[in-house]
Amino acid sequence: MKVMPCPLNGPRPIQEFTCGGEVVAPPDPDHADAEAWADYLFLHDNAAGVVREWWYHVPTSFWFIADRDTVTDEIVRTFLPRELFGPDAQPDRP
Amino acid sequence: MVEPRSPIDDALRAAGGSIGEHAGATVVIDYGDPDEEAEAARGLGLADLSPLPRVGFRGPGAREWLTAWGVDLPDEPNRACIQPDGAIAVTRSWTEVLVLGSTQSADSLCARLEAGTSDAHRARAYSLPRFDGLFWFALTGASAADCLAKICGVDMRETAFSSGSVAQTSLARLNAVIVRVDAGATPLFHLLGDSASAEYAWASLLDAMQEFDGRPVGLRALHALAREFK
Amino acid sequence: MTRERLPHPAGSRIDRTRPVTFEFEGRDYTGYAGDTIASALAASGVWCLSRSFKLHRPRGSFGFAGDEAGSLVQLATEPNVHADTRRIEPGMRVQAQNTVGGLERDWAALLGHFERFLPVGFYYKAFYKPRGVWNWWEKIIRRTAGLGRVDRGWEPEYFDKAYAYCDVAVIGGGAAGLAAATACGAQRLDVLLVEREPELGGWLTYGRQGPGDSTLDDLRGRVQALPSVRVMTSAICTGWYGDNWLAVAQGNRLHKVRAKSVIACTGGTSQPAVFRNNDLPGIVSATAAQRLIRHHGVRPGRRAVVLAAGDEGYAAALDLAENGTDVAAVVDCRPDPPAGPMASEAEARGHRILSGHTVREAGRDPQRLQVGGALVTRVTGPGSCAADGERIDCDLLVVAVGVAPAGGLLAQAGAKFRPSAAEAVPRLASLPDHAFAAGVVAGAATVDEALAQGEQAAQAAATEIADPSPATHAIPEVRDSNESAPFWPVFPHPEGHEFVDLDEDVTVREIEDALAEGYEDIELLKRYSTVGMGPSQGRLSAIATAAVTAAARDTTSAEVGATTRRPPAAPTRFGLFAGRGFQPVRHTPMHRWHVGAGAQMMTAGLWMRPAFYGRPDDRADAIADEVLAVRRAVGLIDVSTLGGFDIRGPDALEFLERAYTPSFRRLRVGRARYALLTDEQGVVVDDGVAARLRPDHFYVTASTSGAEQLYPLLLWYQAQWQLDVDIADVTPAYGAINIAGPKARRVLEKLGTDIDCSPEACPYLAARTGTLAGVDVRLLRIGFVGELGYEIHPPASQSLGLWEALIDAGREYGIRPFGVEAQRVLRLEKGHVIVTQDTDGLTHPHEVDLGWALGRRKPFFVGKRSIEILRDKGLARRLVGYAVPDRNAPVPEEGHLVVRGGEITGRVTSSAWSPVLDQAIGLAYVAPEQAEVGSIIAIKAAGGRLIEAEVARLPFYDPDNTRQAM
Repeated sequence: MKVMPCPLNGPRPIQEFTCGGEVVAPPDPDHADAEAWADYLFLHDNAAGVVREWWYHVPTSFWFIADRDTVTDEIVRTFLPRELFGPDAQPDRP
Repeated sequence: MVEPRSPIDDALRAAGGSIGEHAGATVVIDYGDPDEEAEAARGLGLADLSPLPRVGFRGPGAREWLTAWGVDLPDEPNRACIQPDGAIAVTRSWTEVLVLGSTQSADSLCARLEAGTSDAHRARAYSLPRFDGLFWFALTGASAADCLAKICGVDMRETAFSSGSVAQTSLARLNAVIVRVDAGATPLFHLLGDSASAEYAWASLLDAMQEFDGRPVGLRALHALAREFK
Repeated sequence: MTRERLPHPAGSRIDRTRPVTFEFEGRDYTGYAGDTIASALAASGVWCLSRSFKLHRPRGSFGFAGDEAGSLVQLATEPNVHADTRRIEPGMRVQAQNTVGGLERDWAALLGHFERFLPVGFYYKAFYKPRGVWNWWEKIIRRTAGLGRVDRGWEPEYFDKAYAYCDVAVIGGGAAGLAAATACGAQRLDVLLVEREPELGGWLTYGRQGPGDSTLDDLRGRVQALPSVRVMTSAICTGWYGDNWLAVAQGNRLHKVRAKSVIACTGGTSQPAVFRNNDLPGIVSATAAQRLIRHHGVRPGRRAVVLAAGDEGYAAALDLAENGTDVAAVVDCRPDPPAGPMASEAEARGHRILSGHTVREAGRDPQRLQVGGALVTRVTGPGSCAADGERIDCDLLVVAVGVAPAGGLLAQAGAKFRPSAAEAVPRLASLPDHAFAAGVVAGAATVDEALAQGEQAAQAAATEIADPSPATHAIPEVRDSNESAPFWPVFPHPEGHEFVDLDEDVTVREIEDALAEGYEDIELLKRYSTVGMGPSQGRLSAIATAAVTAAARDTTSAEVGATTRRPPAAPTRFGLFAGRGFQPVRHTPMHRWHVGAGAQMMTAGLWMRPAFYGRPDDRADAIADEVLAVRRAVGLIDVSTLGGFDIRGPDALEFLERAYTPSFRRLRVGRARYALLTDEQGVVVDDGVAARLRPDHFYVTASTSGAEQLYPLLLWYQAQWQLDVDIADVTPAYGAINIAGPKARRVLEKLGTDIDCSPEACPYLAARTGTLAGVDVRLLRIGFVGELGYEIHPPASQSLGLWEALIDAGREYGIRPFGVEAQRVLRLEKGHVIVTQDTDGLTHPHEVDLGWALGRRKPFFVGKRSIEILRDKGLARRLVGYAVPDRNAPVPEEGHLVVRGGEITGRVTSSAWSPVLDQAIGLAYVAPEQAEVGSIIAIKAAGGRLIEAEVARLPFYDPDNTRQAM
């Protein structure tokens, strides 16, 4: 069983977490055509390599973001959402 | 008057708990055998503290507001800090604090804090109804960490989880806050979780305690523990 | 009955002062406390324990270590027990498995005569044509080929799980494990030493030690003196999962061990040789013979032949000879055996040694179900031997041709094993992070080597724990031992019955046939031929399988490779996996009251809720009475299970505007409104009520089923939006009571409240805070059931008290508690949709006439874009209300189809008999063109009967909503 390093609670068994899927930036809903919108909703990359994912620590109701290698299942880094979404966010790709 | 009741009120009465007043709260004082309970509190005992006061605050202004009210706060999340009156301040995140009223003396801190919730709201320190939302049990004794290992995936032994440590984790598959504040040399864990699941948690704990001859104890047994190490 | 017992000191595990009588196949046998079933039987000269899986040949234990199917027996209440590891108990009743009519005369053994009709891949080739024939065959196959019987009258046992933690877990308490644990413990590391046998020591407890070898007592004493080393015996590590998470089974408990580092000292498995009739009971490994002698004080045979390819065979021969067995010959496959210490000693003692020979064929004792002799012939090349040779009578055939590393656990963790060059036995080739290996599993050939490796592994683990940056782990260096034969001893026989896999009755020929059919990949070969699929999971067959495959494909075992190893590494009882179940239950504060009032409780997610109050056989009447009480007087229902969220802060309004579909900008403080939530795909996911308690404080309710999923969803939005808002789940902190009916107001007023409940001061959709019977409450004037009603939200700790006070105060008005069933009827009469009952994973608001709840002028809300796209595409279905005009027609059920001609156009989602309207009503999805009020639809009921229903205007009851506005 994996150990997930939670930015709030430290290393914990993966059972305490649920995965919220990849971090995907939605297209502008006012300007995206139906096809681009459907693409955003229904098509996912499922990439082999390091992907950026939402994770949720259930006992503390805490969302954070993890860069995880889908090939080795190694968790490269975990961090707070505000790094990507806060006022000083610097959204970079993993 | 409609008195507040413990979420496991029925179970406590059924187990023969003699219920009395402690500092304005109605709690189980003992189960009729104070000596054996005091002994169990050193080995393995479980007390219901749900009727005792507790309050939570969360928000960007929570730390500052509580500090202004004289509450000592740990710097890090998931730590506990004992207040002069015996209350315990628990940091649940960078912006959330849970205050557990004193188990030893009459509460003053929680009542004071609750009286100021409107003021807190303006300071963006939003009060959280933890008295009603969370059950509060205390698991005490030398076997407490081994007992918790049967229902909880976090290492609760002294070497990994010393007095003052806090874990927010899963307890018998229930979200729970575990706060370790030892009574001298006797391990003591405060367990808090969804009050709607209090009966389930109580029963699960008693089941896990069986192999260590654990038993429910009243508040008197906790007081005896406290006296021993003073 | 213990005629083969050896005198003390042989028999370290048995207590000769405590005889134990048990039953095997209906006969009584007596052994000693500490005996296993198989050792006690062997002491009585019984070696055959079972019949084989496919051909029903007599079988016993080969390794006496709990590995093979041959030793599986049936106890009264437990099937598939390894007779060679389970200890006897007084009165134990043991039966052989897999027999038809008993072990001695197994009628199914006739199957052996039809063997040529049971080709490789048998199950895949037979029984599937003609269609349906499997159903007939299955019963017969299950009876003849099944393993044990499950006792359906079983008594439940208490199984549970516990977590454990350590710095270093040492798996295996043999020489290497003891050395590793001692070295770690000396550095004050927290060590868990896991040993599957009842005592520490491993090979040292039964093997033949040379002079000067470290003594077992020393090693045990040193490890036991260390306070930071915890020892678990009779404990099997069955799984090694990610991040060093180990499953350790001990008794009725599964320990879930988390270790920073793991040192695997799992030893090795003595391998069988492959020759004709190599499956006969009484053919055992050298270590099995030594275990019988030293652990159980059992003389394994009167006259033995030893087949060797290394020094351990000679050690066994010496042990046997010293304990009263006549060793007829040591047959050594190697043409020129090197003079190891044991071989030299055997030679010096005058044992008859036949180098360059092998056992070509074993013969059965005509009187007993066990080996009776061996045909020993000269080896003529790799895998071939002369047809003629010497027949040697024996009742014991000891095989010592090689030891495979017991690497199953390590392989689970990602370690690689590979034979080097032309060898057949795999060697450890690489280790995963935070894993180490020592001892036989890592290639050690001597005790000293194992001890040294154990210490080195401990050192490496300690270094790594001090500095956890992962480093590549060195594989322990081992001396090249030149002791095994130059080829793996597989001797095909023209008449067959040379078993590669004893569990599954797979012979050399069958492997070759499968390869010839094209199943060359080792994983495919395994699944097609079933080789390695039995209880021993290839521990005793993988090397021979690879060797046969390599020979047939003219390549090496290294090229052939090995199959993937998966948990569990040892057979594990289901009870251990199940453990003590933990299923949280949520009770409302009024739970006990409901039960006391005779409510029939039902589950709603984790919650328990009253379905109705009354006896089960009064169900329909009870529900109807509850409905009528609400319509005519007053009722109250416990709705504490509703979710509740406090949304506070300067951006509280902005948060609601984005998360929910309606607009709340014009919602005044003290007012509430319907709050609908859709997901990004525009699908309806939940609904509730949002009450504005302060300008920057909203109290939002959620449905019972939706609350638990909704909270993470709202927090996920906030994680992205980063608004200045706090979202608190206060569901368990508040009870909730819905009091409804024309007399509801009078009950509140009688009880005493500082809230002005008059229709003017507290109209429909008002939201107030105040006290009721002295309790601080939030009061929402809303109604799901279509009568004057209040939703009272008191603190959980006072909810029961308030409930009781309401019941008391309402008695004179005919108050009645009502349950979920009555509420469903009441809300259906009002045409209210229940999200997840009347909606599904595709429902968008326009399909269920909730377009009015969409804030059209809002720039954004979650789901807005998708709903627009769906609306523009045109509706595919609509949810409508219907009534059944024929009062004698059956009441449709939820899930019944709406049909038009031969076409399905929808389905019923809610259905009830309305006591007020005195007819069957419901909600159903229909095609858009059927949605007109007055349309006639056909509902296909049970048995295919069509019920005619008329699309009705909603709500059915009180269409002008005058009653809820009273």
